Amino acid sequence: MLTMGLDIGSTACKCIILEDGKNILGRAVVSSGAGTVGAQKVYDEALAMHSLKREDLGRLMVTGYGRFSFETADNQKSELSCHAKGIAFLMPTVRTIIDIGGQDAKALRLNAKGMLDSFVMNDKCAAGTGKFLEVMAGRLNLQTEELGEWDAKATEEASISSTCTVFAESEVISKLSMNVNLADLVAGIHRSVAKRVAVLAYRNGIVKDVAMSGGVALNKGVVRALGEELKTEILVHADCQLAGALGAALFAWEELCKQA
Amino acid sequence: MTETVAQKPKRPLPKSRVMVAAQTAKVYQDAWDAKARGEKIGWSTAIFPQEICETMGIPVLYPENNAAAISAKHLGDDLIAYAEGQMRYPMNICSYARLNLALAEKIQDPAYNTADPLLPSPDFVLLANNSCTQLMKWYEQLSHNLNIPIFFVDCLFNYDEEKPAAYKVTYIRKQIESYIAEMEKFSGKKFDWDKFLEVQKRSQINSKLFDDIIQLNTRVPAPVNGFDFFNYMSCLVLCRGKESTTEIFKQLKLEIEEHIANGTTSFPAKEEYRVHWEGIACWPNLGHNLKTLKNYGVNAVINGYVTAWNIVYEPGNLDSMAYAYATSSTNSLTTETIMNMRSDTIKKFDCDGMLCHVNRSCKMMTFHIFVGRNIVEEKTGVPCSNFDGDQSDSRVYSEAQFETRVQGLVEIMKENKEAKNG
Amino acid sequence: MVNLDSLFNELDTIAVNPRIALDKYLVSGKKVIGCFPIYTPEELVHAAGMIPMGLWGGQTTPSVAGQYAPIFTCSLLRSCLEFGMLGKYQGISAALMPMLCDTYRGVSGAWRVGVKDIPLIAFIHPQNRKLAASREFLAAEYGAVKTKLEAIAGHVISDAAIKNSIGVYNAHQAAIREFCEVANDHLDVVTPKIRHTVMKSSHFMEKGAHTAIVSQIIDKLKQLPIHQWKGKKVILTGITGEPDDLLDLFAENKIAVVGDDLAQESRQFRTDIPKCGGPLESLAQQWLDRTACSTVHEVNSSRGKLIVDLARKYGAQGIAICLMKFCDVEEYEYPMLVKAAEDAGIPSLSLEIDQSTMNNEQSRTKIQSFAEMI
Repeated sequence: MLTMGLDIGSTACKCIILEDGKNILGRAVVSSGAGTVGAQKVYDEALAMHSLKREDLGRLMVTGYGRFSFETADNQKSELSCHAKGIAFLMPTVRTIIDIGGQDAKALRLNAKGMLDSFVMNDKCAAGTGKFLEVMAGRLNLQTEELGEWDAKATEEASISSTCTVFAESEVISKLSMNVNLADLVAGIHRSVAKRVAVLAYRNGIVKDVAMSGGVALNKGVVRALGEELKTEILVHADCQLAGALGAALFAWEELCKQA
Repeated sequence: MTETVAQKPKRPLPKSRVMVAAQTAKVYQDAWDAKARGEKIGWSTAIFPQEICETMGIPVLYPENNAAAISAKHLGDDLIAYAEGQMRYPMNICSYARLNLALAEKIQDPAYNTADPLLPSPDFVLLANNSCTQLMKWYEQLSHNLNIPIFFVDCLFNYDEEKPAAYKVTYIRKQIESYIAEMEKFSGKKFDWDKFLEVQKRSQINSKLFDDIIQLNTRVPAPVNGFDFFNYMSCLVLCRGKESTTEIFKQLKLEIEEHIANGTTSFPAKEEYRVHWEGIACWPNLGHNLKTLKNYGVNAVINGYVTAWNIVYEPGNLDSMAYAYATSSTNSLTTETIMNMRSDTIKKFDCDGMLCHVNRSCKMMTFHIFVGRNIVEEKTGVPCSNFDGDQSDSRVYSEAQFETRVQGLVEIMKENKEAKNG
Repeated sequence: MVNLDSLFNELDTIAVNPRIALDKYLVSGKKVIGCFPIYTPEELVHAAGMIPMGLWGGQTTPSVAGQYAPIFTCSLLRSCLEFGMLGKYQGISAALMPMLCDTYRGVSGAWRVGVKDIPLIAFIHPQNRKLAASREFLAAEYGAVKTKLEAIAGHVISDAAIKNSIGVYNAHQAAIREFCEVANDHLDVVTPKIRHTVMKSSHFMEKGAHTAIVSQIIDKLKQLPIHQWKGKKVILTGITGEPDDLLDLFAENKIAVVGDDLAQESRQFRTDIPKCGGPLESLAQQWLDRTACSTVHEVNSSRGKLIVDLARKYGAQGIAICLMKFCDVEEYEYPMLVKAAEDAGIPSLSLEIDQSTMNNEQSRTKIQSFAEMI
């Protein structure tokens, strides 16, 4: 039996097709977020990839910021529960998850059974979120996807002290005008995000293993800086960006089993 | 309030500064020694009636002063992050409190030695809320986290223009009396009222002397870089009732008089403009502040913060002392009262403008600025400029913004001068 | 015959738009005194024959308050200042303001320059409460407030009148406490929003009139069969649990509010005014008796214990900490509250309360996740 998890985030939509609650059959990611055609597109793509139709899905669960507005869904669940569920499936030893999303950052703690135990989220502020990285990348004329590669080339991390996105942007501009190396600037930006997110993680308590989920986890520079701030290794699964969608697909499977 | 101005001095420090450093080191050492002997030591808010512990010879250290010193040495960020992370304090509370609450926990580990100067852990805290209400919440947390008693003198807030009514002064005086009795019990030491009178007299001599020194900077050009005064505040916070402070102030006065006689100044550039600095220093950004001001020839000749320790009363009269502690802090008076005082100071010091630190940590001072700048502009005709910053949290300040605001202020001051000189 | 819905609607109209109540009192010739939260001696206003009316701000994005109030002012006092500056409180004869925190210290100055048509009567509670001198002080302070109110009322406020008002207030508190108890047997009817409305509306009504309505509500609830609530239950703590949309998110996720330590709600109603010398001393003693509140100095605050006890007493699975942004007195206590819940094995949820933003998306995610978790 197939279930689908659809994660409609603020900057990207992710989709997983799961077989019998065990095997990941299909994956799809579209980099446009909630309120766009992204959700429909990723959904269509995932189905098309395996020549499936809606009727082939036993159950469809949506999550993410756009979770209330996808009509064909059977149910919706919060992205916190879904990320916890997805990561616990991918990496059963993980007890702490850090998820940096497009407009928020969260730290989740799981109990020994892999269930969500407690969580904290950032204030309504762009600092320490994907949005912050996006603004800074824009300022440096880079794509956000390129930030990780540039980070690896840094030799001396530039210091970005302001938390405020507007002030930090002006720091970046002034450092650019002083000819600070681009890679060093990128590393400094990652440090700034990591410091902010580390506060959240510490606030929620850190139990090993620690993993990152969400799309920002693909940025090796953020993972590096966060690992340094938390003084611990951070696990990143190849499917980290799809963890929320996977969790949703798993919940769909559980609901299906309950119905039966 | 600290010995470390971020800018490295080109010349050897003046003798008075060396004396300050030695005095501060001694206060910390005395506290550590007492702690080692198993005696009780305390932490105190900056404008607490220090005369009582001074009389009883009980060592007391001052977290506000300590936090400022640590921040000026750029050692505060990790502590602040620890307070917000592991300890879960929201980032919007006072940064001195965040820094100190983290430090109070860190120093429970004898191996901890990252912060400088390092305080011994307190056995009690002394709380006066005349600077703000957050002090009360901060010290409640210290007491809660360390399980130690609070000695509290509630100094109220003077929400009306008129002088505090007699029943308010009585309430504060009775608290001081009760505190003396409690401290006798707690410390097992007898309170010596004769010595108390001596300490009160000494405190008055020091307050008066510092005020005289500040007044010397009314001269144009000023003999002192206004930022230098920050370096002597520790004398008033840590050692208001000590003779060593008198010696330091006498020496400082000599040095300034020498500048006046020689026509020299400690301001490192030509004084083009004189401004009144409003608010606490941005300790982590002192270097950038000073560099920028110097580049524009702006001497912050006077600031309201360094005059907050002018606690004047009649020795031997507890009501008079209670009254002084209720009214000396900038933050215990209404905006109108404070801004009228500032306007007078601006005229007296011949300031061309006012530079206001919108300090994220200090709500009360910020309100004074927001509500009061109209009063200052109307009464004095000088322009005011605000900038964002913080006393300890380096994440709030923006170098670019500070420079823009200073430059903007300078442009207006320049126009005003040109108009005046026709 | 009135039914529960019409009683709730009556209170809801007032809670949502206090201006309607204000205008009604003004038209009837009553003088109205604005009362900034919390622990303002409303009894003195009541005894003067005037109407004490709570000033609790409201959901608004301030446009003019920023002139005097920095962005890091709590949204409650920022919106009060905004409404004052925009003339939305017009008709109020004066405003009583307690100097409970730094923001109040600052806003007292801002109010005086920004809202010139409503005179400010500021006063301060003593925080060093263990000395007998603190009661003497507060009685004298309330005496000074009384004198200022007498000038507005145009007549003396007698001791007998204050004693009478104390009776009215104690009876009102008792009614509210009973309502909260009875409500827990009818969580299908008393939604989080209705529970809030019943208490909030009391700030905008003459207390005797409010008691009468609440008593009717209690009677009608008691006539209903006891409802076995199948959803989750939580306790709220903080300054306010507003706006209504936030409370609706609890309902949407099948979470009932079964107890609270909100300054706008139960915190105000849990300490009776004792008999103690003259009436001013009685009012002063009530302040000295208050505990477990962020605005009250207490060595080793009992607030953590209070919320855990509440949760246990009413079988709540979680504690929602409604943290008003930039309310420093509350922010200092946040770690202590999380720790108390943690030590008791009760999950806690932190929600950001902010009157200046309408966006509840983050709260929605948090509350839904919390419901999925507990």
